[in-house]
Order: sequence, then structure tokens, then C-alpha cells
Amino acid sequence: MYENVKMPDGISAETLEHLMNPKNYGKLENANCIGVALDEKTKEYVIFYTLLDNGIIKDVKYATNGCQDTVVIGSMFSEMIKNNDLDYANGAIAKMHEKLGDMTPQQKICAEIVFTSFIASLKNFDNLKDGQEEELHLLKMKDSCEAENMPNG
Amino acid sequence: MDKSFQKKHELWLSINFASFAINNEEIKSKLYDFAQIAFRHMKWLSSDILESGNNYNYDRDTTLYKRDNVFEIIKALVDEIKNIQQFYPNNILGGRIKTDDNYLLEYLSQILKDETNNKKITAFNMQRKWLDKNLAQDQIDALTLFLFDESYKEYELILVYAYMQVRTKNLTQYNIFQDLIDESHFHLKSFANMMAELGILAVPRQLHEMTYIVNNLDQFIKDGIAEEEAAKEMCKALSDAIKDEELSKFFDFINYQESYHIELMNKLLT
Repeated sequence: MYENVKMPDGISAETLEHLMNPKNYGKLENANCIGVALDEKTKEYVIFYTLLDNGIIKDVKYATNGCQDTVVIGSMFSEMIKNNDLDYANGAIAKMHEKLGDMTPQQKICAEIVFTSFIASLKNFDNLKDGQEEELHLLKMKDSCEAENMPNG
Repeated sequence: MDKSFQKKHELWLSINFASFAINNEEIKSKLYDFAQIAFRHMKWLSSDILESGNNYNYDRDTTLYKRDNVFEIIKALVDEIKNIQQFYPNNILGGRIKTDDNYLLEYLSQILKDETNNKKITAFNMQRKWLDKNLAQDQIDALTLFLFDESYKEYELILVYAYMQVRTKNLTQYNIFQDLIDESHFHLKSFANMMAELGILAVPRQLHEMTYIVNNLDQFIKDGIAEEEAAKEMCKALSDAIKDEELSKFFDFINYQESYHIELMNKLLT
């Protein structure tokens, strides 16, 4: 539907579609690894569910209480890595930076919290493989989008 | 896990968003009243479920369907109401809910009998144009992002406060949660109707339990006050940015309402 809609430069049709209907959003009941990235200052989190099978990301889902930038980036990123292998996923973060183009410092932090939650899910996979008991793996963000010197996005 | 609550939650959303999507003011208003009744059903069901020693959550299977005309929306609603009947409890509450649903079905059947009601739906056309307003593109962009952020936030607040309200034994807390829920219903309705006007109506995304299971009420309230402060700033920035007197006044009005929410939340801390 959105392919035929002419959009202004500010918000593209693709972005609007991700806003209206985020892809891969929610809980993945059969995930075999779960990661959480948390911004302790704002309490914003992203939880990332991954189903890994022989190095292939068979399925993913994510959820967040964050802003719309986080939702859109999570939607785009999860679409990009789904049904691809881990090598591709590792490169996908760089590809996402290209895709997103010039971002404000706040948007960069929104992107990082999404990527970090995915990385946390892979860490959870490794830990479980090593025999550790871990329901999910939590990584705390170094930067917060509420930092004092953060300009408004 | 009891499914009656999940199904009612989904139906509440469906009735609400049918109301927001339809332009006919009479149908919109009537459906919104039914949505409010459905929300009370949710509240009563949640209370019954907890009293019986069971539990519920906010998981749901709700997808955004961009329907083209009023009858498509109404027919989908009819199907959903018919399907939900099997999930209601066989008690006085279940009986009450079923009679409410039957009356809603009767109302929907009346709408379907009049072909002139079958207007085109513009709420999902993504055009982002407000016909009687002359807003510059940067203002439309700012408004778009604000509406997506805040419509989710109001939905989140309704559900989080309802989750805490049904579990508190403190009457003051109970009443404050009710006030905050009522206020957020009004904000959600206002923002969602604006999204429909712009052609970007969307169902807020599902809440994860990390958001609504609150272990430390005081900390939750303090964080909530910080969020209300941020929402006030957003309203003020939007009011300043939007060069439309009517909309600007509306966002000032919302801004002052947020100020009183902070007062209400402070009472929860004392």
C-alpha cells in the first residue's frame, strides 16, 4: 500500500509503515536465547528474542518501552537479520548505520540499544551452551539519551 | 492462563479503533461508548480472575488491518464479538457481558442495514494531510512523531495503572489510579482521532511484562513523574511549533492536564 504514497523528505513511506505496523514486534515463545539492553537512567529497555539453529537466525522478535526511533530501528534491523546467518547479522549493524544515514546523537543511542539487545541475546546463547543457567542476558548501556549534553533530536 | 481477559483486551482495542477509524460522528461516538463498557468488562474480569487465584497478562493477537470501508470494519467487529462469547465465564459477570455484547451486535446490525453508512475509510491512507488546516511539512512531521509516541504512552499508562489498581487494597491509591486511567482514555482518544485525521491511525504496540509488572511502586511513580515532565515539554514544544491556533491551544490544554497528573502521582507517594 505504502509504495505508491508520495512522502516528504522528513519521514519516508518506509519509516511510516514501520511506525504504523512494526515488524517482528512482541514475544517469541520458542526463542532459544534472549537479550536485554537497559538504559538505567531512563529505564528504557529493548528485549530481543532470537531463535538460532545451526548458525542461522530462524526467527526474531523484540519489544521495547522506548521511543519511536527505537521501534523503527528495531523493526528494520530485525527484518534485515531474520533468516540470515550470524556473519550476515554481524555485518548488518554496519549496514544499518549506512541505511539510517545521518542520525542525531539521540537516534544513535536508540540504534545502539537495539543492536546491544541482539548482541546480549547471542551472549545468552553462548552462556547457555556453556552450561550456565541464565534466563536472559542483560547488558547495561554506557550512554543514555538523557545525558546532560545531549542535544534534542 | 485465563483467555477471557486477553480476548476482552483485544475486543476493547478493536471497538476503540473502529471508533477512531470511522468518520461518521454518531457511529464514532456510540462505538467509543461501547469501548468504554468493554474496558469496564476488562476491569471486572481481571478482578474476578485474581480473586479465583488465577492470573492474566497483557499478551494479545492484535494486528493492524487497514480496512477500506466502514462495513469491512463493522463486519470484522461482528465476527470478533461472536467468537469471544465462548470465553466468557458462566456467572453473573459473564451474563452481564453477554447482554452488553448482544446489544452491541444489534447496533452493528442496524449500521449494516443502511448502505449510506458504508463510507470510505481514510484513517490509514498515510497521506498525512489535515484538510482544514494549513500545516507546513515540518509541523506535520513533528505532529506525526508526537502522536505515535504519545498514543503508545497513553495506552501503556491505561494498562499499567489498571494492573496496579486491581491489585491495591488502598482506597486512595485505587481512586487516584482511576483518575489517571480516565485521563489517559481521553488523551488516547484525542490523539488517535488526530492520527485518523492524518491517515496514520495505528494500534499501539503490545506491552511487555517488563513494562507493567511493577515491583517498586515509589520508584515507578518517580519515573512516571519524570515522564510526565517530559510529556509536558513535548506538548509545549509542539504547541510552540504548530502555527495553528486551535491545535496550539489543544496542546497547551493537554500540557496543563499533565501538570495535574504529576500532582495526582505525588499523592501516591505520600
